[in-house]
Amino acid sequence: MSDENLSLELEKLCIHYKRHDDLLSFIKKVHEKCGYLSPENIKNVASLWNVSVGEIYGLTTFYVFLSTKPLGQNVVRVCRSTPCYLENCDMVIETIEKKFNIRPGGVTEDGKFSLQLVSCIGACDQAPAMLINDELYGNLTPGKIETILKGL
Amino acid sequence: MPEKRIVLENCGVIDPSDINTYLSRDGFKALEKARKHMTPQQVINEVKRSGLRGRGGAGFPTGLKWELCTKSPEKERFVICNADEGEVGTFKDRYIIQNDPFGIIEGIALAGYAIGASKGYIYLRAEYHYLRDLLENAIEQAKTKGFLGEKNNESFGIEVREGAGAYVCGEETALMESIEGKRGEARYRPPFPPEHGLWQKPTSINNVETLANIPHIIFRGAEWFSQIGTQQSKGTKVFSVSGDVEKPGIYELPMGTPLRELVEELAQAKDLKAAQVGGASGRLIPEEKLDTPLAFETVLGAGAVIVFSKGRNIIQVVRRNIEFFAEESCGKCVPCREGTQVMSDILRRFSLGQGTKEDLTILEELSNAMMLASLCGLGQAAPNSVSDSLLYFRSEYDT
Amino acid sequence: MITIKLNGSNVEARRGMTILDLCKEKGISIPTLCYHPQLTPTGACRLCVVEVEGARTLVASCHTPVAPGMTIQTHSPKVIQTRKMIVELLLSAHPDFCPVCNKANVCELRMIAADLGVGLPRFRTKKRYYPIEDDNPYIIRDLSKCVLCFRCVKACREVKMANVYSVGYRGHSSKIIVDNDQPLNKEVCRQCDVCVLFCPVGALVLREERFRKISRKPFIIKG
Repeated sequence: MSDENLSLELEKLCIHYKRHDDLLSFIKKVHEKCGYLSPENIKNVASLWNVSVGEIYGLTTFYVFLSTKPLGQNVVRVCRSTPCYLENCDMVIETIEKKFNIRPGGVTEDGKFSLQLVSCIGACDQAPAMLINDELYGNLTPGKIETILKGL
Repeated sequence: MPEKRIVLENCGVIDPSDINTYLSRDGFKALEKARKHMTPQQVINEVKRSGLRGRGGAGFPTGLKWELCTKSPEKERFVICNADEGEVGTFKDRYIIQNDPFGIIEGIALAGYAIGASKGYIYLRAEYHYLRDLLENAIEQAKTKGFLGEKNNESFGIEVREGAGAYVCGEETALMESIEGKRGEARYRPPFPPEHGLWQKPTSINNVETLANIPHIIFRGAEWFSQIGTQQSKGTKVFSVSGDVEKPGIYELPMGTPLRELVEELAQAKDLKAAQVGGASGRLIPEEKLDTPLAFETVLGAGAVIVFSKGRNIIQVVRRNIEFFAEESCGKCVPCREGTQVMSDILRRFSLGQGTKEDLTILEELSNAMMLASLCGLGQAAPNSVSDSLLYFRSEYDT
Repeated sequence: MITIKLNGSNVEARRGMTILDLCKEKGISIPTLCYHPQLTPTGACRLCVVEVEGARTLVASCHTPVAPGMTIQTHSPKVIQTRKMIVELLLSAHPDFCPVCNKANVCELRMIAADLGVGLPRFRTKKRYYPIEDDNPYIIRDLSKCVLCFRCVKACREVKMANVYSVGYRGHSSKIIVDNDQPLNKEVCRQCDVCVLFCPVGALVLREERFRKISRKPFIIKG
């Protein structure tokens, strides 16, 4: 998307979310559109919403679903809270690390995948579990992970 | 006691994407009853008499919370449904939303009617984004049928707001900050939300399960509800069981049911060493105390039960809990921000067998300080599993 | 006027005042760090906690209003122990180069530690080390020394109405940030030293004062 188109679109989005007084959703929408919040994006959002740049940066760095660095097209979020820990979430992390040759927090070289470690995702009955983008995958085994990742 | 389904009555029975299946099971009858035959104060009185207490963990009497909202001269008021189910080991709200979104909507509408709210919010955690369409579809259908929105002279509407990944946003004041588009940092209290809540307006903020109880209480009456449960905890509780059990999942039981029944008979735990009731911030219950009844007066929290079998190392489990809090602390107050960090350092040493007697003293003192001085419930409850493990499993901290 | 039991004696208080205000009036000293009389309360440092009968936890006196019939203990063993632990936590996350800090003699954290008799902390934890921001012409910012009291953020907002600072990141990594977490170098900071005046520790210093000696009486640990 060209810069001009993007800023036009941001303006439209801003008007929509301002009506609902919903800054967080606005930021999330921008995040979704651009993949991450670049310094440029943060500046735009701040000036559109009429708050300081620091405020938006502070907001972005507070929430784990928002990133100030580029993410992969698919974000893999592996839960490692107690129930998943009991069901060997380390196996899940290791399998993905090996497959993509990345560390948690990293992005694959082709920019297709990011791996993040997160807190409880509320799928403890299906532990170990992970989210890929917004989709939930539970009862993971090395084989199952392989199939899921192939399907993406 | 066998399972008793009140909140989960419709789960698995109705089609969550079709309001007609809900209507055919007396759905929205409670809302109609309230709007036609009861004054808001009567609704509040009914909930008060039922003895319903908040299901998010704190157990504040719901009727009283609503009444406090109506005491404010401010006319613009809000209802928030807290669907930011972040507590480790809890997934009951996910299950309720997935299977019976209409029950929650009816509960929110009833709460809105009772306190005279102009608007309701459902704060959904970002991890549950996949439930959003289902919820919004349910709201849309309720609107079409005239239970929400402009029709029927009722202008009460419900909006879904989504978080962006922060456990602390399940704390009521942090949640409101988040809706207002700020960092999810806890506010100090007083003033409490019923007085100055969302955008400084009177706000009642209730858990998904609490609100899902409301239609049943209004429809069948407070007497019926208050017969279930114990002296101080009425009704049922939905439990999320996970960990070392054969059958992890959701169970609804009357308040006061012994923990043993839930984990051994229903979830079929074998060789149990301990269970943690209430998630990462919950209490650790050793095997010999398994007959403890589950209720507000003893131990309950949000109803998460994580089971550990004999082979588990308690220090590792506690360490994982504290690391979780260190990651999720908002960073505003000193005891929680620095305390969780210090604790996780000490627990790491213990898990490597390098802990000292001095470390134990510090752990104990630090637990006390955090419980007493932290700004919000996160920091106050974070050391629970540490102090319980020091009480029941001290031998594992062999120094 | 309402009546309150403060440290065992009945005292009169005005409705709406905080416990801290009352204590100040009665000459009882309570340590504070994030609180400043000219700013709205934050409730972040928790040093000013007191014991209120019937409350589940201790309450922070800087933001809790008095209520009729309150029974308050400001220096009970429980309170003192908690305050000491908080100071220890603050010190453990604070760099230990006080001797070369030019606010050493006017440092509020040291003053509080001395008052409570806290020496070196018994434990170590991760410290937050950041590069010193000294490339701007007005204020030198050394965030390694920052105790996250948020007084600079509030002072800039509430006193100067400038809003230069925000809070970034979360948990232990929390940090007072400027824009996209950039070194402080803003035109509005020219001839304004509001935040420096409000900083309780050596994190914010005026450039010209960096190497000037500030003398005060030494702190002696009362123990």
